Amino acid sequence: MLLVALSGKCQVKGGFSLFTDHDMYTSGETIFLKIFIPSNEQSGIVNAGLFNCRGKQVAAVFLEMRDQQANGYIHLSDTLSSGCYLVRTTTRTSLTQTLKEVYIVNRFTGLPESNVFLRPEGVIPMLETHLPALQIDGVENSYKRRETCHATLHMPSERLSQTDGNLFVSITKPSPEFNSRTFVIDARPGFSKSVGNEGMIISGTVTNPRTAKPFSNALVFLTVPDSSPRFQYFNTTENGRFFFQLKNYYGEIPVVLQCLDPMTNLPLKIDMSMAEDISTSLPRFESLNFSGEFRKVASKNVEALNFIKIFNQQQIKVQPVLLSKTGKYPFYGVPTRVVYPKQFIDLTNFDEISRELLQGVRFKEYNHIQTLQVFNTQRNRFFDDPPLILINGIPVRDLQIIKNMGTKEIDRIEVCLCERFYGILYFPGVIAIYTTKSDFSWLNESDSLLKLKLDAIQPPSKIISPSDNVFKEPDLRRVLLWLPSLKPEQNIKIYFQTSDVRGKYRLIVRGKGKDGKIFYQEQFFEVN
Amino acid sequence: MLFVFALLGMLAANALEAQEELPKNWNTEKIRGIRFLPDAAYLGTQFLFDRFLDGEIKMEDGTTIGNLQLNYNSYRDELIYYSSAIATQIVVDKISIGSFSLTDKKGISHLFRKQTYNGPMPGDRYFEILSEGDIALLVYRKVLLLTCPVYGEIGKEKNMSYQEAYSYYLYNVIKGYEPIKPEKKSFLSKFDTPDQKLVRKMLQQNKISVNDENSLVKGWNLVKESGVAVHF
Repeated sequence: MLLVALSGKCQVKGGFSLFTDHDMYTSGETIFLKIFIPSNEQSGIVNAGLFNCRGKQVAAVFLEMRDQQANGYIHLSDTLSSGCYLVRTTTRTSLTQTLKEVYIVNRFTGLPESNVFLRPEGVIPMLETHLPALQIDGVENSYKRRETCHATLHMPSERLSQTDGNLFVSITKPSPEFNSRTFVIDARPGFSKSVGNEGMIISGTVTNPRTAKPFSNALVFLTVPDSSPRFQYFNTTENGRFFFQLKNYYGEIPVVLQCLDPMTNLPLKIDMSMAEDISTSLPRFESLNFSGEFRKVASKNVEALNFIKIFNQQQIKVQPVLLSKTGKYPFYGVPTRVVYPKQFIDLTNFDEISRELLQGVRFKEYNHIQTLQVFNTQRNRFFDDPPLILINGIPVRDLQIIKNMGTKEIDRIEVCLCERFYGILYFPGVIAIYTTKSDFSWLNESDSLLKLKLDAIQPPSKIISPSDNVFKEPDLRRVLLWLPSLKPEQNIKIYFQTSDVRGKYRLIVRGKGKDGKIFYQEQFFEVN
Repeated sequence: MLFVFALLGMLAANALEAQEELPKNWNTEKIRGIRFLPDAAYLGTQFLFDRFLDGEIKMEDGTTIGNLQLNYNSYRDELIYYSSAIATQIVVDKISIGSFSLTDKKGISHLFRKQTYNGPMPGDRYFEILSEGDIALLVYRKVLLLTCPVYGEIGKEKNMSYQEAYSYYLYNVIKGYEPIKPEKKSFLSKFDTPDQKLVRKMLQQNKISVNDENSLVKGWNLVKESGVAVHF
């Protein structure tokens, strides 16, 4: 028992060091994130999210961990009401979570009239170590607007050898009106370490719609529809739970989840809860009043953001992810035959297509009931059971859907004329139809079928600088430089351009020592 | 004492609270293939082993699936997998496999690797690796279905039988395949004439007479260690 108790506690301890570009934001803006991860953390994916004061998740991203660091961003929806929020970072196996307060002003409603806001009470802020030996040269006391500037970072050689991973350099306009704190609280890990470090995991529960009780041994299918579809299945556990690991997925991906009882083929009810709730782990909140300066700065930020939105100025450029080619062939095997109906005369429905183009496929309609059979080339006779029918990789059982598909709707058809196996699944032949349009409007959502747009791992991105985009309109950037992963060297030259926003700016260099402590050096300058 | 146990129990429960327990091998790679249908019965066997053996498959993408019941169909150059979950013999898709290994009754591991063969009847083949290295010694364990005398020792028998037609190769990634036979003459011919004397001496000293597969492997490993250049 002691071992069990200790094994739980022996999991990742120590907080994540979380940094954002600002402490005060306006809805519609983007929060840039930099996370330093404890060296004993083995999960390859970092969960970052935005929570409101009640502990409810309002936004979430999955970031890839590289060299025990992660970079990313969170878009702030315009639906967020003004108030104090918490940016949270953790992993699925970590016993801690790091939270950072940020204040978000809704750009349409502004600050609340009450002049009061809530913030966590009695938290112990995480500390960084000032490192005077790390020098920043070449920074003037003041710059003109839109001036091209440079600075040099001098890193002592002894510190260079003690630095763990990359450095993080940023130049932002600080908000002294709202002094944000970062703190660590306990977390309840979603999974044990044995789940591995690759990809994100999605989970849910299958229930019997009649009894509302969890249904064990149900079959759950997950499809990522594509011209080369990806497919997974899972047999639900005793408590009706299912899990899918999504490796090598970046950005927003369409996902279709289906479930059925394999014994009766009857559909069941599938539930997925993606949003987290950390209300029970949060400290108490206290009420504080805004200062007059706070209100003024918030108002200026709203004006600036409205301008940026009107002129559609982009803040981030998402970089494409080059993936190694996985899966040379679909899960249903190398097709026996591939037919492109466009290469033939126009056929109006699937009945005609099957008769004219698909050898070994028998589509029949009798008394408004359709049947489909595939020839088994191994046994030289037709299968008695219907084949696996896929539309863009999504399994369908209702032949009404394909009945009216003709040459115009179908791009290609792949047919497997043999008994196929995929794990424990058995398919008496396969007919995979790929449509000319990639929308899934034909697929009706139900209790047993969910269509989702899933945010997989966030692709790498970089902040747009004036060199990427010549600003003809006023340049209202508050982040002049954001270099989250800068290779540490003895002398590092950095370049930046000031914007049209006057005021005090802070150049800050951060890094993580091999002892796990965060060190920093900063320098302030004015833009006039 | 009771209090301590209760406290430990609470700790244990607390530590594991909310953690999802995932089933074993919940996210392993799925094997893809078609149903294996046995051919008509002839003399001999088309399988390399007389029963399914424990083995593992390394897929083309690098993932490994272990604890499998496997056999190799020498006649069709196919890997057969017995799925106990669905009680079915499955011919694993060759396109999905990188390599596989089987452990026989004696505990000897047989490693097969899928390689593209460019000689007669080109295509992907499973080669058993007899000796790994810059130049590997491989064997293509092919059996042929040939006609044979109808009358055997026990009276009238089948008129066709599976007969071994193993092909041995020296293989280098750049130079490709060089056929070799488990015979002394063929073995020595793979070395330059001045080196042949040295190789012959080495074989004699180690009492190796290359005349079958075992002696070929022993001889090859001996020469490989000595670093004598191979005439390829």
